Amino acid sequence: MTTADPALTRPRVLVTGGLTAVRHHPLIAVLAAMVLAFQLSTGSFLNPANLRGIATDAATLAIVAVPLALLVISGYLDLSVGSTLALGGLVAGWLAGHGQSPVVAVLGALAAGAAVGAVNGALCCYFGLSAFIVTLGMLTAVRGLAQQLFPLPLSGFGPGFAWLGGSRIAGIAAPVVIAAVVLAAGALFLALTPAGRHVFAIGVNREAAHLSGISVRRTPFALFVVTGVAAALAGAIKASVLDSVVAGTSGAGFELTVLTAVLVGGVALTGGSGSILGVLLGVLFLGGLQNGLTLLNVPTFWQQMAQGTALVAGAALAYFAPRAAR
Amino acid sequence: MTAPGLSIRGLTKSFGGVRALDGVDLTVPMGQVHALLGHNGAGKSTLIKCLGGAYPPDAGTIEVGGVSYARLSPRESIAAGVAIIFQTLSVVDALTVAENIFLGQEWTRYGRIDRRAQEEVAAGLLERVAAKCSPRDRVGELPMAQRQLVEIAKALSRSASVLVLDEPTAALSGTEADALAERVEDLRTQGLAIVYVTHLLSEVERLADEVTVLRDGRVAHHAPMAGRTRRELVESITGGPLESTPRRARGLGRGHAPPGGEGPTAEAPDRPPGRERLAAPLGGEGSSAGAVDRPSGRECPPAAHGGDGSTADAADRPPGRERPPAPPRLTVHGLRGPGFGPVGLTVAEGERVGLYGLIGSGRTRILETLYGRRPASAGTVRVGDRTVTPARPAEALAAGIALVPADRRAQALFPSLSAQDNALLPSVRPLARYGVRALGAERRVFDAVATAVGLRPARPGLPAGAFSGGNQQKLVLGRWTNEARHVDVLLLDEPTQGVDVGARQEIHRVVSSLAAERGTAVLFASSDPEEIVALADRCLIVAGGQVVGELSGAGLTEQALLSAVHDTVPAEGAA
Repeated sequence: MTTADPALTRPRVLVTGGLTAVRHHPLIAVLAAMVLAFQLSTGSFLNPANLRGIATDAATLAIVAVPLALLVISGYLDLSVGSTLALGGLVAGWLAGHGQSPVVAVLGALAAGAAVGAVNGALCCYFGLSAFIVTLGMLTAVRGLAQQLFPLPLSGFGPGFAWLGGSRIAGIAAPVVIAAVVLAAGALFLALTPAGRHVFAIGVNREAAHLSGISVRRTPFALFVVTGVAAALAGAIKASVLDSVVAGTSGAGFELTVLTAVLVGGVALTGGSGSILGVLLGVLFLGGLQNGLTLLNVPTFWQQMAQGTALVAGAALAYFAPRAAR
Repeated sequence: MTAPGLSIRGLTKSFGGVRALDGVDLTVPMGQVHALLGHNGAGKSTLIKCLGGAYPPDAGTIEVGGVSYARLSPRESIAAGVAIIFQTLSVVDALTVAENIFLGQEWTRYGRIDRRAQEEVAAGLLERVAAKCSPRDRVGELPMAQRQLVEIAKALSRSASVLVLDEPTAALSGTEADALAERVEDLRTQGLAIVYVTHLLSEVERLADEVTVLRDGRVAHHAPMAGRTRRELVESITGGPLESTPRRARGLGRGHAPPGGEGPTAEAPDRPPGRERLAAPLGGEGSSAGAVDRPSGRECPPAAHGGDGSTADAADRPPGRERPPAPPRLTVHGLRGPGFGPVGLTVAEGERVGLYGLIGSGRTRILETLYGRRPASAGTVRVGDRTVTPARPAEALAAGIALVPADRRAQALFPSLSAQDNALLPSVRPLARYGVRALGAERRVFDAVATAVGLRPARPGLPAGAFSGGNQQKLVLGRWTNEARHVDVLLLDEPTQGVDVGARQEIHRVVSSLAAERGTAVLFASSDPEEIVALADRCLIVAGGQVVGELSGAGLTEQALLSAVHDTVPAEGAA
């Protein structure tokens, strides 16, 4: 993360500081090149309206990417977030559609997300099962549960609930404000709390963390719960923006997009390293990529190929860049 | 003399300025067993690793089967006919015996592995080493002794001419060790050149044709075994009674005082047990009394050879230490757990107690159980007058017990995290205010602990993995010795394993000053007698999961430690 150093105001230092940032996060350079390329080819990529669109799209991604990144840093993984997102949207929409206040609707969604996260966390952290297997199973199971509970599409949630996705706070869309809060909270958590240090320690060497007296179960368990809550919140926001949710398709494939953003952002799948700045860059990169390709009328399957290629290229970059830097 | 199977000449290897091997010669003719003795850190492992191709030597030659090499790659080493059986075996548990023997050199027929042919040949090899397993058994299901034989059979399948056994009986029971000795005798008859690394003198007496003792990377002693006594060997391992442990050796009281040393023997008993060495750590500035007692005290060679140890001893003894023994800080009664017990011991306030025993004797289990890493099945543990039965490390820490584990990489270090994170990890929460890290205080505490342990370089942001082994260990030690933690009882398991001489002294100094200044009770396990003598006030001998003896004061010498353990045959099933 950057530090507030007064010396950085001097231009030369700014340049070297910028170069250091790029060396630590090569994605900054890639992101800049992508923005330039899209602006030159579309002419409208940098329009305020389009940027707002990117920000709103990227917001739900960021809200889930931050806790997921923390989970990955601590050596775990959650593949169930796409289905949890759907469940959260359905619960919130159903409650709002049945006359509950938007606050109750959102709280209901968050509770559902917390429940899914608690099941994941209990099985992975306390029973020691593989996070990959547990959350892969939950991906399917929660989707099935959502379809069982809400077999019909839900829509028409009322103006109160629409506030969540549609209102503006100081001219900025509410989801973007929420995402900014989540990003800031994630960064502060990692940098300024003891538990933030513990997350890294657990991810690097779980046994050594245990022998250092760190609660190697409770912290990741909490992260699973927070990830579930965040996915459900993202689902409620999506339901509010679209004013409809369909159990079978909402959030399908979201888990892979958000995981891609986290990994492109430089979080190591093996745990122990990553930053929230990297996650932000990864989210902006994926959001911008989708948006720009859509502006260029690139067919969806080409977009998917681009997204996949970005992940592999990012992994290669992360693998080779540290060696070159030495 | 028959043709040499293995001939090493002038082998030299340094690690960052420390000479691990310094012009070592070793010749093993075919059909002979050559015992290699020496302390931990004497250079045995480095020698073996150069032979196996893990390290390139800086100078010298290795001649195997008449071909001379300046350096070997692991592949060349195997091709030349060298087979090394390490303590941690390299067999694959999930594969069968035959598959293990032919791993990497599978016999194929029409592109498929020819299982039947492999199993037939494997059966023949297993017969040669008198293994009691079938080629189709899964290695993971075999007892340790059989796995070892599988590994030896694998070596024979590669037509090895030089066989190196690295403490092969450490993990075996008494009868298994006997059986292995018979196999080694067979293999000698079959004409192999065998290098046998061990700490057990009884094995040397039984098996060895010749003996080489390494000390500080040099050959300290080399002779045919015939006619050697145990005492001569022990003396050459430890550097003899006159060379490095002048005063203590005289107090040995085993009827072989060196020439010219009657006077001091009489003086020894009225010295308070093991207290004199506290003089050095107290002030942290190696006084002469400290240096005399420190065989590793290379920083102060004049004092070590000054010969006026007893006078300095009396003069520098801190008066405060004359008072009756301090109250017990750690009290353990009837502690039992899987593979050890019952164990009872006490460590007084400010006392440093060593646990000495061979690998597999139960030292580590005792320490890990006290720390709550392993469950205790019975017994009580008291810190001060509070009874604690830690079920988790976090509970042990809450009770004031901390552990520095033996396996730094696996159990203690966070290589990719910064030095500050490594040294302060358990202190971040106690230092935090209202749940927010106190970054300024953290840096201050780090700087203080880095100075206290002599961390080099003292850079908080450098990843721990970039430090030398010794400095990594200082970081781990700093975890429990920084001012933000209060530790009543410090447990250390092999505190200086894989650590260079300089760092080793600093680690000893830090531990000693912790005991002297804060009254921390120190309980440490070591397989190195030199370290026990240098650091402990008192030493408990551990064998077969029990405390079988105790040495303290003038009786605590390297010779006494070595005899205590070497005369102990591993108890049946203790492994």
